[in-house]
Amino acid sequence: MSVFSNKSEKLFIYIFFGIALFIPLFLNDNTFYINKIASIIILAIFVMSLDYLVGRTGLITLGHAMFYGLGGYIFTILAPEYEAVNFWLYTFYVMTASGFVALIVGLIVLRTNGIYMIMITLALAQMTFYYFADSVDYGGLDGLFIYVKPETSIFGLNFLDLDNETHFYYLCLLSLFNCFIFFKVIMNSSFGRIIDALKENPDRATALGYNIFQFRLIAYVIASSLASYAGYLFALQYGFVNPTMMSWDVSATALVMSLLGGLGTIYGAILGSFVYEGLHYTIEHLTEYWMFFMGSLIIALVLTLKNGLAGFLNSFSRGKSDE
Amino acid sequence: MDSSFYLVQLLNAVQYGLLLFLIASGLTLVFGVMGILNLAHGSMYMIGAYLAYYFTFLTDNFFLAFLISGAIALIIGFIIERFLIIHLYKRDHLDQVLLTVGLIFVFNAIQSFVWGNDPLGVEVPSLLSGSIKLTDIIEYPVYRLFISGVCIVVAVGMYLIINRTKLGMMIRAGESDRNMVENLGVDISKLFTIVFAIGVLLSALAGIVSAPIVSLVPGMGEHVLISCFVVVVIGGLGSIKGAFVAALIVGLVDTFASVLLPEISSMSIYLLMALILLVKPQGLFKN
Repeated sequence: MSVFSNKSEKLFIYIFFGIALFIPLFLNDNTFYINKIASIIILAIFVMSLDYLVGRTGLITLGHAMFYGLGGYIFTILAPEYEAVNFWLYTFYVMTASGFVALIVGLIVLRTNGIYMIMITLALAQMTFYYFADSVDYGGLDGLFIYVKPETSIFGLNFLDLDNETHFYYLCLLSLFNCFIFFKVIMNSSFGRIIDALKENPDRATALGYNIFQFRLIAYVIASSLASYAGYLFALQYGFVNPTMMSWDVSATALVMSLLGGLGTIYGAILGSFVYEGLHYTIEHLTEYWMFFMGSLIIALVLTLKNGLAGFLNSFSRGKSDE
Repeated sequence: MDSSFYLVQLLNAVQYGLLLFLIASGLTLVFGVMGILNLAHGSMYMIGAYLAYYFTFLTDNFFLAFLISGAIALIIGFIIERFLIIHLYKRDHLDQVLLTVGLIFVFNAIQSFVWGNDPLGVEVPSLLSGSIKLTDIIEYPVYRLFISGVCIVVAVGMYLIINRTKLGMMIRAGESDRNMVENLGVDISKLFTIVFAIGVLLSALAGIVSAPIVSLVPGMGEHVLISCFVVVVIGGLGSIKGAFVAALIVGLVDTFASVLLPEISSMSIYLLMALILLVKPQGLFKN
């Protein structure tokens, strides 16, 4: 069984990772663009986790950025201030800790669904936002700084220097690739099949003896935990965390990217993030009022493109309309 | 900290609660009748406040500005429903969320384009600028009482419209069974347009009356939207009575938490919401 669900996905993944692998060589250590692309890759990991949650389980959350922010904060709070810690060890800590938070939050929000879940996830994320924004210990709105980046040795071997932009870029790219494979494996596993069944027909799945709540909770914890990993990478890239990482518009924009790429397609998350950020970057340079154009674009997108860019590519590669 | 201090806080809490009700009632009305969650509801509050600022500045008369801004809000509501929301009735929640998020972006850009990003203020109209003596030393501004008054008038008006008029009858029918209403020959698309415009008006009205007591800043709409969500979730989505009770509870909790427990004040209403959800996942007044 192939990892890819269709031809356009396979083509996109080959082309994307093919270009992404070699692009630092062509940028000639132009760190601005290497950093920019790395930041979009991090965003794509975040969007991918949301894409799985929303597109596959059908549970819409508007508070996913809460875990993005938590990823950064958990690292910054746990790690000693002036001492390089181990990257892999802290990846484990960050993901476990935020997975635990997701378990608690999930127990509350998954009691509801639909419109209620949208509002409650948003409200809880705002609550976390205000908690950090008001907290004196955690730097309030200014957030916290990371003075020393972690070292990345495994068994004494040290390949990556996180202070080097190109090294960091490859770490992000590897993470994105792993994330993609991880979600594809999940989707093809029996767990993924049950999740699909739950979305398709919850009553029937219940009748077959599956505990909907448990499966949803597991998917929620996985997605949230990966979102926190993306936030952890973000914090390492910029060297600080602040509450704006978990503000509501981060969640909303990620949903837009996910829809733009094609909900539930996983690779659409990469597509959506890059297209959205590309447009954002271009329009922002043309006009101060970029929000007006992005907003109009989102509205036009909802009204026209039902299956996202992935659906468009798919119907294009098959040479006929998907409808 | 004597009893008159608490009296002032109580008046503030009720005023804030009533204002929240004004906004939340619009959100819950639109959801109840049309099944649409309008995330741009907070933007209407913001636009209301900025319009009030603009027309007070132009006409030098707050009450005239009040009327003009209200009329413009109705027109905005009408346009949004006719051209955008109308496409969403057969779509899922996600499309509603995304389209209305797009609207928030557009309104924020318009706000920053027309009025800039510096905080603005509206002067309290001279007719209402005085204070009432509660005790020898403590006074309470008349304008805040005026806000409460406006909210109460609107609440009573809504109660009468919904329970005593033909439009209200259609709204109640629309809430309980949309298809049946349509089959009985009611022009549902007209009803939807009216309800949506009223929803926008309610939110804008809250923005207009609170313009003299808040500072007008970018992002003021989102803040209000989220408090409004808390109210609607606690009260039960679609229930106007629930929104009324919940708004007063939220007003009280928010005001008294910031006086008595300042450490958790900004989180207090969310904690309240989480607690209520644990007991009643559908809110207090969901039938």
